[in-house]
Amino acid sequence: MSVLPGLVPGLGLVKGMALTLRRFFAPKATVRYPEMPADVATKFRGRLQLLYDEHGLLKCETCFQCAQACPIECIDMGGLDTKGRFHVHWGPPETYGERREESALRRSGRTVPDPAYVHFVPFDLATVDEILEAHNHDPKHMLRILEATQAAFGHLPVAAMKRISERTGAWYATIYGTATYYGHLRFEPPGAAAQAAEVSARRPSDDTYLAALGASVVGRRR
Amino acid sequence: MTAILPRPRGWPSILLARARAADPTDLDAALAAGAFEGLRRAIRQLGPAATIAEVEASGLRGRGGAGHRTAAKWRAAASTPARIRYVVANGYGADPGASTDRTLLETDPYAVVEGVAIAAFAVGAEEAFISVRTTATEALRRIQAAVDTASSRNFIGDDVLGSGVRIEIEVRPVQGAYMLGEETVLLKALDGKRGQPEQRPPHPATRGFRDAPTVIQNVQTLAAVPWILRKGAAAFAAIGTEDAPGTILVDVRGHQRSGVAEVQLGTPLRDIVALGGRPRPRRSLKAVLVGGPTGGILPAAALDTPYTFEALRGAGAHVGSGSVIVADDRACVVDLGRLLTRYSADEACGKTIPCRIGVRRIAEIGERLTTGTSRAGDLELLTDLAADVVGSGLCDHERLATLPMLSGLRYFRDEVDAHYLRGECPAGVCRPISLGVPAAARTTRGRGAARPVPSTTAARAQA
Ligand SMILES: Cc1cc2nc3c(=O)[nH]c(=O)nc-3n(C[C@H](O)[C@H](O)[C@H](O)COP(=O)(O)O)c2cc1C
Ligand code: SF4
Ligand code: FES
Repeated sequence: MSVLPGLVPGLGLVKGMALTLRRFFAPKATVRYPEMPADVATKFRGRLQLLYDEHGLLKCETCFQCAQACPIECIDMGGLDTKGRFHVHWGPPETYGERREESALRRSGRTVPDPAYVHFVPFDLATVDEILEAHNHDPKHMLRILEATQAAFGHLPVAAMKRISERTGAWYATIYGTATYYGHLRFEPPGAAAQAAEVSARRPSDDTYLAALGASVVGRRR
Repeated sequence: MTAILPRPRGWPSILLARARAADPTDLDAALAAGAFEGLRRAIRQLGPAATIAEVEASGLRGRGGAGHRTAAKWRAAASTPARIRYVVANGYGADPGASTDRTLLETDPYAVVEGVAIAAFAVGAEEAFISVRTTATEALRRIQAAVDTASSRNFIGDDVLGSGVRIEIEVRPVQGAYMLGEETVLLKALDGKRGQPEQRPPHPATRGFRDAPTVIQNVQTLAAVPWILRKGAAAFAAIGTEDAPGTILVDVRGHQRSGVAEVQLGTPLRDIVALGGRPRPRRSLKAVLVGGPTGGILPAAALDTPYTFEALRGAGAHVGSGSVIVADDRACVVDLGRLLTRYSADEACGKTIPCRIGVRRIAEIGERLTTGTSRAGDLELLTDLAADVVGSGLCDHERLATLPMLSGLRYFRDEVDAHYLRGECPAGVCRPISLGVPAAARTTRGRGAARPVPSTTAARAQA
């Protein structure tokens, strides 16, 4: 019968120190990367995190090449990108929760409790369906469909874009990419004036570029 | 509307010949001036093959910036077997500081319509698009009026000039970033897709809009075609240089005046700068920015460079948007280069990684130079990085984006060194200026002392 731990005072401490001592004299496992390649698991895919630069902007350009390449559309992006665009991700935070729940359901058949999850607000899909009907559900008319959707809702709600993806068969990443590309399409309600002002302050528009060029050519101090 | 600069007597006028017309959308006045004679000759006398041969004999090259041979594109599109072909007129005018294409669309919309129709007839396209920036409202209004009037009088439409040929032209307002001017991006935008360039080959001429052979041409290129068919290829070839015949529109922002002018290709830069007037009292010309946001910054010593595609490329600039911007001795070349590179970096579409990251890093080097925070080795890094970025992109943007900084380094070495080695701005534009300590000693992250770049590295990056 072994001595029950806790009965001998200080035994836990001795055991802990023994472990420390063993580790202390064990050979170091540091790898001199890149001279010596690290031994990583074959399924390792690097550090799955978007990095920020020294200005606090996401280094991701939101080119969405990765999201478009992902066969199961599992790549999301969030935050403020290098061009100062908000809502780089595929919708407001609640849809993240929704997506997580969705995928948990799909994988294991049961939902995971997710404190960030807020139920999706009911959304009037009939309007989107009418627009799609008018454009023959044809993804070739994507720009016009998106413009009509924006005209109807004031902006492009995520639910509407999802519906468009569902009904036209076009990939969500492709639709999202199209929508981010055109300056007149927006993802925020038009009331978000402060946000728009911040975006234009960060994203050099033609006008700010021309003003800066004019100043630079005549050598005005910055 | 942009001003049209007065030109010296005797300079030929092709693109702006009708600039003084009372109402450019008046079809009868345009007909009296010879509009649609070229289309008539193409359809009634020449036929498609001879029309392309005539354009080839004229030596016409694209005015969109790169100067590709127009006839070669048309022939490639015409000889690719296909059921449908398209013609696209690129009137986007990506450079916000140049209004050459817009001015052409405003002053002579019928020349563009006729040029599109001739191109469509020559390659066998039945549908054509004229794409114009949404913000160019007047240009849009006039080109739309011209298309409507011309089709109501059967100059285009189902039965062109009673010959049974069908040519439908649609005006497409497009809106987007700088990159939208690039040909494959424009084709995607016309299809409502996200604007990012495509891998080439296949070139659009063999596989473009909706996978059909597509001739995409700058509006100035197309507007020259009616003149060529009306006056003959030889008359066109007699203008400009042997290798680059004809005229081109430039947008001059000079010492005294700014505006659009038509010049022969091969005109010395000095004469183009002179259109904008002389330097103001007690000022002198310091640099000329040729080619728009991705242009080269050329010194006064380069003013004898002829304005042709090859000569400008050799000098470290390019035709680009046709913009020619004069800076006098108040300007700081490093500050200008920094601004332009930042714009190019922000406008890069992000599809090719060396362009997306590399141009941003070059812009940061420029920012460090202008804020007096250069790190040792920054100039080597600049030339190395530029050499690596060039040739890595899908479109030409990555190469062009390096031009402002590289040409600044090539021609204004003293000024760059003053920023780099001493943290001073001779023009007094950049701040903070000298603290009296060498730049390298002030940076903690510097690797060794700052030293001038060996000229071989600079030369390699320029090559
Ligand atoms: C970044 C970039 C921007 C461009 N912007 C324009 C433009 O605004 N207008 C234009 O006509 N061509 C532009 N081009 C050139 C086009 O890609 C294309 O070469 C041209 O429209 C072909 O017409 P052309 O043969 O008549 O020159 C751009 C090219 C690049 C790489
Ligand atoms: S070179 Fe730059 S602008 Fe051109 S496709 Fe690549 S990333 Fe986009
Ligand atoms: S750079 Fe982040 S999605 Fe491509």
